[in-house]
Amino acid sequence: MSEKVAIIVRKEVLENLKSLRYWSLIGLFVLLFVATSAAVGSAMRGLRIPGLELGRGRLVVQLVGSLSSAMSYVAPLLGIALGFSAIAAEREKGTIRLVLARPVYRDQVLNGKILAATILIVIAVLVSTALSLPISVTLHGVTVTADDLSRLMLSLIPSILLALAYYALSLFISVLSDRSSRAFLYCILAWILFTFILPIVASMIALSVLGPPPAISFNMTRGGQLPPQLRDYYRKVGEITSSVLIISPNDRYSTFVNALFTRRSPQTTSYVDLGSIIATRWVDLAVLAAYVAVFTLLSYIFFVRRQEVR
Amino acid sequence: MEYAIETENLTKIYRDRAGEVVALDSANLRVPKGVLFGLFGPNGSGKTTLISILVGLQLPTRGTARVLGFDCVKQSLEIRKRVGLLPENYGFYEHMTAYENLEFLGRLDGIPRGELRRRIDEVLELVGLKEWANAKVKTFSRGMNQRLALAQALLKDPEVLILDEPTLGLDPQGSAMFRELMARLVKEGRTILISTHLLHEVGFICSHAAFIRKGRIVAQGNLEELAKQYREARGYSYEVVVQERPEDLLRELRQLEGVVEVGLENNTIRVRASRDIMRELLGVTGRYQVRSLRERAPTWDELYQFYHGGGWGE
Repeated sequence: MSEKVAIIVRKEVLENLKSLRYWSLIGLFVLLFVATSAAVGSAMRGLRIPGLELGRGRLVVQLVGSLSSAMSYVAPLLGIALGFSAIAAEREKGTIRLVLARPVYRDQVLNGKILAATILIVIAVLVSTALSLPISVTLHGVTVTADDLSRLMLSLIPSILLALAYYALSLFISVLSDRSSRAFLYCILAWILFTFILPIVASMIALSVLGPPPAISFNMTRGGQLPPQLRDYYRKVGEITSSVLIISPNDRYSTFVNALFTRRSPQTTSYVDLGSIIATRWVDLAVLAAYVAVFTLLSYIFFVRRQEVR
Repeated sequence: MEYAIETENLTKIYRDRAGEVVALDSANLRVPKGVLFGLFGPNGSGKTTLISILVGLQLPTRGTARVLGFDCVKQSLEIRKRVGLLPENYGFYEHMTAYENLEFLGRLDGIPRGELRRRIDEVLELVGLKEWANAKVKTFSRGMNQRLALAQALLKDPEVLILDEPTLGLDPQGSAMFRELMARLVKEGRTILISTHLLHEVGFICSHAAFIRKGRIVAQGNLEELAKQYREARGYSYEVVVQERPEDLLRELRQLEGVVEVGLENNTIRVRASRDIMRELLGVTGRYQVRSLRERAPTWDELYQFYHGGGWGE
C-alpha cells in the first residue's frame, strides 16, 4: 500500500470511528438482533406443535435466523452510510479540490476510501456480532458448540460481502453525483428495491405463472407433512422466486447463511457438511463478490476518467 | 524571458445534453517567473477553468499548458508537488481542527512528519490563525476559512502559488495581511498568479496582469505595456497642479494639437490628448507657476473597464 493511500485510510477510519452515524448503526444491529431473537425465543417456547418441538439445535438455528435477519437490514445500511457520501459530499463541500490539488493520483484517493470502508465494515460486523450474540445466548440459555461457532464465524463472510456490495453500489452512485442528498436518495431506493420490492415482484411473477395454490384440505397434525400437490406447488414457487431473486444481494446473503445452518434431517441436530454447502451455494458468494467487483470497477472508471472538478 | 506558466491555444469545451459551452478559447497566457501576476476577468470568463487545467484538476480539450516547464496533462503530479493552490469553492473537513486539516493535507503533499509540525506552525502564524490551531473548522468564520485556505496553499513552501479569488470573505485587516504576505513572497522569488474580479483588493499589488474575456486572453503584460495599449486606444492623460486659477494656461492647453479635453478640479488641471504631448506640455507649463506635471497612468480599474467594458478587441 502506498503512503498516500495509507494517509487517506487513516483519516477515513478515524473520522468514522469518531462519528455517531457509525456507532448508531452498530447499536441498531445489536438492538434488532436482541429484540428479534427474544421474540423468536418466546414464540418458540409457546409453540407446542408435535414435530416442531424445540431442540437445542433448533434454537441455535433460530438465533442465527435472527442474526441474519438483523444483518440483512443493517449491513446494507452500513454500506450505504459509508458509501453515499464518499465522493459526492467531498465534491459538494469542496474538500476534494484541496485533496486533488496535492500530488495524489485519483485512484489513490479511491483506493484509500475503499480500503478504509472495508476495515470499517469488518470492525462493525465483528463488533456487532461479538456484542449481540453472547447477550442472546445468555438470554436463552443455549449451549453453542464448536461447530455452531465455526459456522457463525463463516457466516460473517457473507455479512461483510453484503455490506461491501452495498458500499460499492453506493460509492458508484456517489462518484456520479454532485450532491450527497441525491446520492443518499438513490442508494436508499436501491436498498428498498432489493429488500422490499424485488421479493414482492418475485412472488407476483410466481403467482402469475403458477396461479393460486391448489385447494386441498389436510390435517397438519397428522404426520406434519403437506400433501404432495402443495409441496410441488411451493417447490415451483420457490424455484421461480429464487430465479428472480438471484440478482438480489440480500437474498443471496440470507440463502447462504440459512444453508450454513441447514440440518441433515429434521430428526438430527447435525448440520449439512460445509463442503457440500459451498459446492451448492457458492453462487451466492459469487453474486455478492460480483456486486463488489463490478461497482468498484465502475467507480474507478468514472472517477478517474471524469476529471471535471466543478 | 523565462516563464513559470505558459499556455498555448488552451481550449476547454464542456459538453452536456444542452450543447457545448466554450469555457476557454485558445487562451495564450505567459506568466514570467518571480512576479505577482493578476488574472482579471468577470465571473464566468474562464479563470477557474484555466487554473483547474494548470494544476491537473481538469483536462484541456485542445492546446497545451506548462507550469515550471512541466506539461499539465502528462506531468501534473510534478506540478502539484511544486504549486500551492487556493481553489475557488474549496472546503475543509469541518469536524477536524485547523491543525488536523493541515496535517492531513501536508502529509498528502509529502512533507516529512518531523518537518510538518514546524511548517504548520509557520503557516498558521503567517495567516494569523495560530491561536485557532486546535479549534474545529466548523466554528470558523468565512474570513478564517479563507486564511486557512491560504495556509494550506503555503504549506509545501511552493515555487508557484495559484490563488483563485483569494480575498473573498477577508475583512480589511485580512486583506492588508494578504497583500503584505504576497509582497513578501514575491520578494522571496516566488511566482504568484492571482485570479480575481475584485481589482480594488489586489490589483494594485500586481506588477503584471492578463485580462480574460469569454475564455480568451485579450491582453497581458506588465502595467507599462498594458497602459501603452490603453493610451493608444483611449488617449493620454496628464495632471498639472497649479498654484492659482490659470485662465491663460487653460486656454493655451486647449489650443495644443491633439488635446481632446481639458478640465479643472480645485488646483489640478486634467488634460486628455489623443497623442503624447508631454514635450509640448513642458514648454507651455514652463511659463506658468506650476507645482507639478505628470502623466497619469491608467489604474487597474480603468484597464479592467477598458478590456472588459467594450473598449478593446470587440
